Amino acid sequence: MFSPADFWLAMIVACIIWFSTVTVYVAIRGAMDIRQMLKRLEQRHQEQKRAEDSSP
Amino acid sequence: MPDVQFSWIDGSIVGLYFVVAIAAGLSVRKYVGKVDEFLVAGREMDIYVGIASLAATEFGIVTCMSAAELGFKHGFAGATAGILGAAAMFLIGWTGFCIKPLRDAGVITVAELLEVRFGARIRWLSGLVIVLGGLLNMGVFLRAGGDFLVIVCGFSPDYLEITMTAMLIAVGVYTIVGGMLSVLVTDYLQFVVMSVGMLAVTVLTLWYVPWSQLTTVVEEHYGAGGFNPLANENLGWTHVIFQALLNASAMLTWQTIIARLLSARDTKTGQKVYMRTSFFYACQFIIPGIWGIAALATLDPEVLTQLAADKNEAHAMPYFLATTAWPIGLTGVLVAAMLAADMSTDSSYLLTWGSVIYNDLLAPFRKTQWSEKRGLRWNRTIVALIGVFLLFYGLWYPLKHGIWIYLSVTGTIYLASMSTLLIASCYWKRANNWGAAAAIVVGAVLPIAHLVAEQLPATEKLAHQIGIERTGIATFVAAGVAMVVGSYLKLAVKGAGDVQPR
Repeated sequence: MFSPADFWLAMIVACIIWFSTVTVYVAIRGAMDIRQMLKRLEQRHQEQKRAEDSSP
Repeated sequence: MPDVQFSWIDGSIVGLYFVVAIAAGLSVRKYVGKVDEFLVAGREMDIYVGIASLAATEFGIVTCMSAAELGFKHGFAGATAGILGAAAMFLIGWTGFCIKPLRDAGVITVAELLEVRFGARIRWLSGLVIVLGGLLNMGVFLRAGGDFLVIVCGFSPDYLEITMTAMLIAVGVYTIVGGMLSVLVTDYLQFVVMSVGMLAVTVLTLWYVPWSQLTTVVEEHYGAGGFNPLANENLGWTHVIFQALLNASAMLTWQTIIARLLSARDTKTGQKVYMRTSFFYACQFIIPGIWGIAALATLDPEVLTQLAADKNEAHAMPYFLATTAWPIGLTGVLVAAMLAADMSTDSSYLLTWGSVIYNDLLAPFRKTQWSEKRGLRWNRTIVALIGVFLLFYGLWYPLKHGIWIYLSVTGTIYLASMSTLLIASCYWKRANNWGAAAAIVVGAVLPIAHLVAEQLPATEKLAHQIGIERTGIATFVAAGVAMVVGSYLKLAVKGAGDVQPR
């Protein structure tokens, strides 16, 4: 018989498993995302600077 | 004062984290040259940094203390709000309900989208209630954070103000300098530190306080109501309905959540961030809830009696964490984790409410295009002023009920009306500015009246009898009714051909 306490135990186990998996995954992929994001912003700034320099 | 376990090793860990977080926040300042880079990171946010940022932002010390307080006061049933929030966020992310048209519109705030349908005045009025609800909501963050740190680190209560000020200055400096970019980078770091600390403490809590002891103490104190919110005499249907409405509307319009959607590279990315972050909302109530129940199971009965007498149940969890003999250095990791959680929340909230003030409330004063430099200067000044407000409000406002109840009511000030307006603007063709104005006024007046009534001796009893959750449900219903009645009234008065706001 599945009791309310069992439901909460299942939720707690799911939280711990999900949270630890997401932490590891996001720690790795998030660092890559930040690097890419800063790279794109850097490129955008350089393009704007070039456009400003070339404008009369 | 409890016999706390915080040592110099723990202090060193916290100090190291503090320095690294501020340095990371300041390191991205060179990428901020425009207002949209300051407010929405140039809309360059990807999925995983978005997940980290959203999760870190929506979990601060105040959330942790309020969720633990719910666990302490209602057992496992106290985590119902988190499960409802997770379900709402997943469904909204999956279907794109409202958030798809919102992100597709390329706006910075919800109020900006509302202008398209309801006109500039409604945008301004929306901005006003968003800022009012948001700032009142955020008003208790610093005090909750300060209380937690003072208890867990074993400082004298006299240091509360200094602790609050130090936290605010640290967060304020990098937020003012780097805006959303600093927030995203520090949120990422803070997510990792916060998650490691929370997981370690939770696993050890379950090790020290066995599952059978947790279920027994909940059964003894709350019976079946400790496991089932509908069987709990202090929760019941009103709690479940109010939390369902509140959480669904927060996922649609809460500016700190929406800011991540609007910073996403595209709509699909925003929807993925929603779906993949959704279960975190269950975690952020269940995990601190376990800490709160563990406090109930392990704290000295005299301490429990004193906390109940002082209506300070929110302090039970910090006392539990402060007095448990964790392995060396874990208290430091835990404090760093909580500090991380709080800094990410504070920085995001400072920036977000500031963005509404700049983007919506100051919009009428920006008839001519402001230079990027001037826009940045204004944004930074607004963030600094919000920080000063928080410091004074946090010290002054006395909490009459639990933290979560306060957060719910202040959030309702704008969630009820803004969610009504957003849904109507996206999916109801007859909605117009009369209905929108009526919904905003009704949605703000009821919860503010309740907050005022509970502070006045003459009406305190009445406010308590009605209950905050009934007021909340009534506010959502009234805002919806006001939108329909107001819109049809305009159609009746002006005729179907003349319902445009401008």
